[in-house]
Amino acid sequence: MSQVSSIEVAGATVDAAVQDGLAKLGLTRDRVTIAVLREASRGVLGIGARDAVVRLTEIELEEPPLPGETPLSETTVETTSDDEGESYAILADLTEPTEAPLMSAPASARQRYAQQEILEMARQVLADLLVRMEVQAEIEPRIVQSKVPGEDPSLILDMQGKDLGFLIGRQGETLAALQHLLRLIVNKSTEQRANLIVDVEGYKLRRERALQKLALRIADQATRRNRRVALEPMSAYERRIIHMTLRNHPTVATESVGEGDQRKVTILPKQSFEQ
Amino acid sequence: MKELIEYIAKSLVDEPAEVSVTEIEGASAVIMELRVAPGDMGRVIGRGGKVANAMRTLLRVVAAKQGKRATLEIIE
Repeated sequence: MSQVSSIEVAGATVDAAVQDGLAKLGLTRDRVTIAVLREASRGVLGIGARDAVVRLTEIELEEPPLPGETPLSETTVETTSDDEGESYAILADLTEPTEAPLMSAPASARQRYAQQEILEMARQVLADLLVRMEVQAEIEPRIVQSKVPGEDPSLILDMQGKDLGFLIGRQGETLAALQHLLRLIVNKSTEQRANLIVDVEGYKLRRERALQKLALRIADQATRRNRRVALEPMSAYERRIIHMTLRNHPTVATESVGEGDQRKVTILPKQSFEQ
Repeated sequence: MKELIEYIAKSLVDEPAEVSVTEIEGASAVIMELRVAPGDMGRVIGRGGKVANAMRTLLRVVAAKQGKRATLEIIE
């Protein structure tokens, strides 16, 4: 196998650094993965201004790419069974940008992408978005197998960094916007629907656990009092967690009521639901 | 901020070459005017305006960090 070239280049902007790096490597943009190590900063009145730094890594190919053919990634992801309660098991650490993002695959090649290829593409798109938002964050990609057999795994991109709270937003609104746009962009190039999840320092995981606890507590309450209990209004994602947590519950059922921002889950004893 | 909207729009449309973003800067507010090919309007607006609103949410957050307000207008 050929030696993979990788270089780090500085430039006034990310684009300038990338262009410079490509010239040095003698490669085109679709033949490298681009990792932004540092974004440019104008500083204040020229003080503290600094260059952007990027790392370009040549995409390793076993043979020169044939038209209409996409190189397959060699890595396999170890899938281990999920411990109960631990829905965020780390199965793959793909942080090193050595995988081909395959962004240049022709649309005519109706090939199904492997989940880790989609994850790597998504990581690149999220990195591109963060640079343009002038946010510095490390992205940790993970694949988490679904507990439901036959369902696609969750592809999680967890962002770590200083003061990223603003990326969550009120009731996770900013995170939801970022995730929605990322999914659209990635799904458009793969022509597949992937279960991509964008998170900030495990916020969603913690929120998910808290909601699962809440669901079980309120289920108990509804059963004991034998009456319907309504939860606070929540986003679709959060309501889904409640529904999923209680879907096989012996004594309660769940139902969403209300419209728009005010839509909320109600938990009701099963007997009264059947009547 | 302009680069952010440009990147998102170009990634979503069928005719990226037709995407243009104009930044109109005021004292405290910035207006972003996004233009795309007529056939791509739906892609940058989304069902019920969901895509446009997601772009607005990100724009607002980025602008707020710089102590500004920003609005996104999609021009027909």
